[in-house]
Amino acid sequence: MLELRNISLELGGKPILKKLNMKFEVGKRYTILGNNGTGKSTVANVIMGVEGYKPQSGKIYLDGQDITNLSISQRAQLGITIAFQENVRFEGIKIYDYLTLGGKIKKSLDDVKKALKIVGLGEDYVKRHVDSSLSGGERKRVELASVYMIDPKYVILDEPDSGIDMMSIDTINMFINQLREKNTTVITITHREEIALDCDYSYLICSGIVLKAGKPAEISEYYKSMCDACEHPNEIQLIRDEVI
Amino acid sequence: MRIAPDYSKEFEKLAEAYEKSGGDTSNLLDKRVASIIISGDKVIGLNNVDGVEIEAGKQELGVWAKIRISKGKKIPMPIHLCTGFLGKEGEQRVNFEFIVEDGATVNFISHCSFPWSTKLTHKMTAIVRIGKNATMTYADAHFHSEEGGVTVISDTHAIVEENGKYKNSFELTRTRVGKLVVKMDVDLKDGAIADLESKVRGRADDDISIKESLGLNGKEAHGIAKSTIVATEKTHARIVNEAFGNAPYSKGHIECTEITKGADVDVATLPVLKVTNDLSELTHEASIGRINSKQLDTMMAKSMTEEEATEFIIKGMLS
Repeated sequence: MLELRNISLELGGKPILKKLNMKFEVGKRYTILGNNGTGKSTVANVIMGVEGYKPQSGKIYLDGQDITNLSISQRAQLGITIAFQENVRFEGIKIYDYLTLGGKIKKSLDDVKKALKIVGLGEDYVKRHVDSSLSGGERKRVELASVYMIDPKYVILDEPDSGIDMMSIDTINMFINQLREKNTTVITITHREEIALDCDYSYLICSGIVLKAGKPAEISEYYKSMCDACEHPNEIQLIRDEVI
Repeated sequence: MRIAPDYSKEFEKLAEAYEKSGGDTSNLLDKRVASIIISGDKVIGLNNVDGVEIEAGKQELGVWAKIRISKGKKIPMPIHLCTGFLGKEGEQRVNFEFIVEDGATVNFISHCSFPWSTKLTHKMTAIVRIGKNATMTYADAHFHSEEGGVTVISDTHAIVEENGKYKNSFELTRTRVGKLVVKMDVDLKDGAIADLESKVRGRADDDISIKESLGLNGKEAHGIAKSTIVATEKTHARIVNEAFGNAPYSKGHIECTEITKGADVDVATLPVLKVTNDLSELTHEASIGRINSKQLDTMMAKSMTEEEATEFIIKGMLS
């Protein structure tokens, strides 16, 4: 189990996460739902251990082990990974090498082709580069294929539907189902309630706190009715008043 | 190609160096491939094919060579140039003249190997003349010793006539640089195109100086000059990319990326754009800094260590 306990984080003197608690069980599918600017991607960066996102208080546990002070690499070696919302380009690196980490992971060409197929890319992409010749949507798909290749225990998908040519929800769901076949825990971060519907458990966050958590249909309905109309997603006091 | 018996041992040694630098010795011996093999101040092998005329001879401390591609000829296999110096110390001077006549097409693969030299100065000058509607590509890879005692001074002047195309790539990434001074200027006539690219990786106290200059002197001439430098440890690098828009509808782009890794690196880049014709367009991009943190995070999130991720990204940039 991956667990966030009382995580608080300030960035630039501004509170972003406030005593946040979340649990993610093995093999299940979760969504973290919320409007833009509510702290969703910050949660992702905190879980992954991105530099600058070390919580001022609180702990992160993986199967009972405190991983709060581990680096990104160390967390990845324990089986946590992320497909970042913004996918950077890499000059001169072929997709085949990107997906096999330059030979670090021992997978066959057929494995690479399979991963590409799952995200809707043809075999010809093997020889292409992870550079600006790819569209935003293609790059996003390559990133998901890369995640599939490394067989993670826990994967965070930060806004997988964002991109220049948007991936269809069906493609994302198909990809997530493939991960679940490997018993991977999938944590999808999104602001689209339709994506949040197809999961086991949902967290709705606002202003850095968990506003609601529970059954996906209920959370999505609440989000649709309340958060869409909310004009103050970042004003902590308003939300706290409502919760308390 | 036949190697003179007197030079067979020297060729064996040079072939070893050539293979180290990424060359394929079988190409040097293939009769269908035009080639020249230079060791120190000697030409130890030379092969011409239909459409290619290579003349070469000894000069003070080195070799001169004149390579002519006949009008309209399209040379099917790349011409191989192998330049080496097997001694530990000395000086080598090589003067090339390339003449690609109108309508001809040719590709060159050049390897310069100095793997055992601890104190060598290699001076190369080249005059490149590319005729109307002719195309020349030149890929130059260097392999130096790990002691850092090699100094390379390379000076190329290219003239590309109407609608001619010239692509030049220089690579010194696998070994220590030592001291490198590269100067290249290209004079582009009407409709001519040039694509210049340099990739160098500096280590220890390597000293890198590159100056690439595009003279867009003809109507609708186009040129790109791109340098990628990875500077580690105490590397000193100075990169100047220039473009001069002197003719209508000419376009030029210069780009320099310098990746730094190490507290003692000393790097600088200077883009120079000058327009004397208001219908010319010039652009530039320049960056100096550590590897993009988002790139590192992306690779580290796939379980690479920071060192592994850095190496992976750098290899890609220099590939």
